[in-house]
Amino acid sequence: MFNYRVIALIKRELREKLFSKAFILMTVLLPIFMFGIIGVQTFIMSFDSEKSVVEIIAESDRIADNLRSIIGESSFIKDSTIIPIIMHLSKLQFDDYVNSKEEELLTEEITGIIFIPNSALEDKKIQYYSKTPKNMRLLERIDNPINKVLVEEYFSSKNIPVEELQYARMSVDVSSFKIAEGEEIKEEGYGGLILSYLFSFLLYISLLMMGSMVMQTVIQEKSNRIVEVLLSSVTSKELMIGKILGAAITGLLQMVIWLSPVIVVASTSWFMLPGDVVLDITFIQVAYLLVNFFLGLLIFVGLFATVGSIFENPQDAQSGMWPIMMLIMIPFFISMSMIENPTNPVANVASMLPFSAIIVMPAKMALVDVPLWQVLLSTIVNVATVFAIFPVAGKIYRVGIMMTGKRPSWTEVIKWLKYKY
Amino acid sequence: MALLEVKNISKSFGNLKAVDNASFSVPAGSIFGLLGRNGAGKTTTIRMMMNIYLPDSGEVTFRGINAGTDFNSKVGYLPEERGLYKKMKVLETLLFFAEIKGKKGRNVTKLAKDYLKKFDLADRMNSKIEDLSKGNQQKVQFISTLLHDPEVLILDELFSGLDPINTNIMKNIILELKERGKIILFSTHVMSFAEMMCDHIAIIDHGKIKVNGTLADIKAERSHCNISLNYSGDISFLQNNPIIKNISDYGNSVGIKVKEEGQIQQLLKLLVDNNVEVKKFDANDISLEEIFIDTVGEESVEEVKFV
Repeated sequence: MFNYRVIALIKRELREKLFSKAFILMTVLLPIFMFGIIGVQTFIMSFDSEKSVVEIIAESDRIADNLRSIIGESSFIKDSTIIPIIMHLSKLQFDDYVNSKEEELLTEEITGIIFIPNSALEDKKIQYYSKTPKNMRLLERIDNPINKVLVEEYFSSKNIPVEELQYARMSVDVSSFKIAEGEEIKEEGYGGLILSYLFSFLLYISLLMMGSMVMQTVIQEKSNRIVEVLLSSVTSKELMIGKILGAAITGLLQMVIWLSPVIVVASTSWFMLPGDVVLDITFIQVAYLLVNFFLGLLIFVGLFATVGSIFENPQDAQSGMWPIMMLIMIPFFISMSMIENPTNPVANVASMLPFSAIIVMPAKMALVDVPLWQVLLSTIVNVATVFAIFPVAGKIYRVGIMMTGKRPSWTEVIKWLKYKY
Repeated sequence: MALLEVKNISKSFGNLKAVDNASFSVPAGSIFGLLGRNGAGKTTTIRMMMNIYLPDSGEVTFRGINAGTDFNSKVGYLPEERGLYKKMKVLETLLFFAEIKGKKGRNVTKLAKDYLKKFDLADRMNSKIEDLSKGNQQKVQFISTLLHDPEVLILDELFSGLDPINTNIMKNIILELKERGKIILFSTHVMSFAEMMCDHIAIIDHGKIKVNGTLADIKAERSHCNISLNYSGDISFLQNNPIIKNISDYGNSVGIKVKEEGQIQQLLKLLVDNNVEVKKFDANDISLEEIFIDTVGEESVEEVKFV
């Protein structure tokens, strides 16, 4: 299988791919792009709708006073995106007051008016009047101090010591501990989630990118008729192997470049990460990831090359590409669903099925402890997939690359399998 | 001795029988012309020789052994539809094609540069293929078939798209390779080239080999009582003359067959007496073009004439 011809073909593919602008840009820009997206998201979220004037009107004088003293401490005063105006009015006065402020509410000079009736001391129900009453971000920030005042007011008449009040006010703080075989129980942070998300995303991008790159060159060779010159020197099998290995090596190299910062961050203490973000990844896991990725490249690049051989121009090939895109995208979404629930049964099964195992298993490994037999099974499934698809893919490729003219139908492609070549 | 033999090969595509039981052999140190109209089966035959298509039946042997991948590395092949990697540089392209044939190193690089010089392309060594003119791309492709010092050259439609100067350079290289004992097989539908260069020919039509042998034998067999005539004037008076067997107009020349050898002089006298200006009068001779047209049928005359 490996002879001077295959090696010459691989060398050519590497030279063409590694030095292509697309490859260099993608390898460098993707990490920048990924962090960029996160940055942009945080940046946009940080914008509040300018300054919001919110009037808080309490029926009780005491509540209004308490609010004034407490709101002074809370954070929205400090960054002053919300300007609270606190008053007290009776229920009857309030109704008139809202009506009189209608104009200002509509022009959004006042974002909203909150009314705290005395009945809130029994049922904690308050009212919010606004042009856009569903401003979650604003209400979320303001209901905390109000709750605090109401609770204090309620309990002040009940003679309960301050310390006990403090306890009652605390919410539950969950510390997650991961139970793993043969390891000490330790606190689990978000590291697994981040890794899982990262692996799924990189796999997804890289398989699609390498796959379509190879498909392009196959189509190009076919439409430029280079393939006939090549076939006078090499067999179609050698040509296909050279092409796929060339792309697989390129992809692997790209993945190593992408993963190396992760590995450096995970394995050294040079970078200070927040306590609950621990990138817990071992050398064996990295090795597994790369082997798994390599198998994935063989499978998917092989499929893309096969599709490329059927068509003579990229436009036609688009239609042949979607079944393979689905084989990559569906597992990708399954991986994403695992981030919500790592024990999702669909994901559990998908991590051991042909095609989806490639993408789902690494994400699953980052989130839960996968028994060794499952890892082995999924690897065996992947290897078996390679052996199962290549005789068929090779045959289609063999016939396809020399088939020019009319765009073939799927039934014709199936007939090719019976051709004697 | 026949080194390269094609034995009873056939190939069908669906209902179309592209090549039908074709056999011919190519002796050492000869130039073999595979002649035929467009779609006659030349390219399919050549592709089967190159293992690009698998024959439905029959085989191709080289030195008595079934021609496989090993054979391929001994052949320099120029396909009818040329193709090169557009983004690759000229020298890089040449070295790549030599490498997949198993040849690399300083000698190959030197040889590549020599050939580029010969074809006046030395200064384009580091240009991208896409920046070359079509003719120059053609030359690069031709060089790529020679670099690995092949024993056999198979050239499909060798001269298509070349100007006379480059045609001449190529012709000389081919004759030089013949001197060195290489086997050269080329296909063409341009008879003048074939006539000029080939020792052996085979004419293929509708997938079948119609004529096969040395050019000299084939000509001798058909030239008896044949006159190849170039003239100006009117020869219509010959139409019903009793000594004439038939007259074929081939455009450039007219082929006239007389009934008996003794009538050749009579014909010449007849032409002179009728004030026809005779420019060329080859007795007992026949051009390859005439043989070709007689073999593959009248319907192809138009097509061949305008090539």
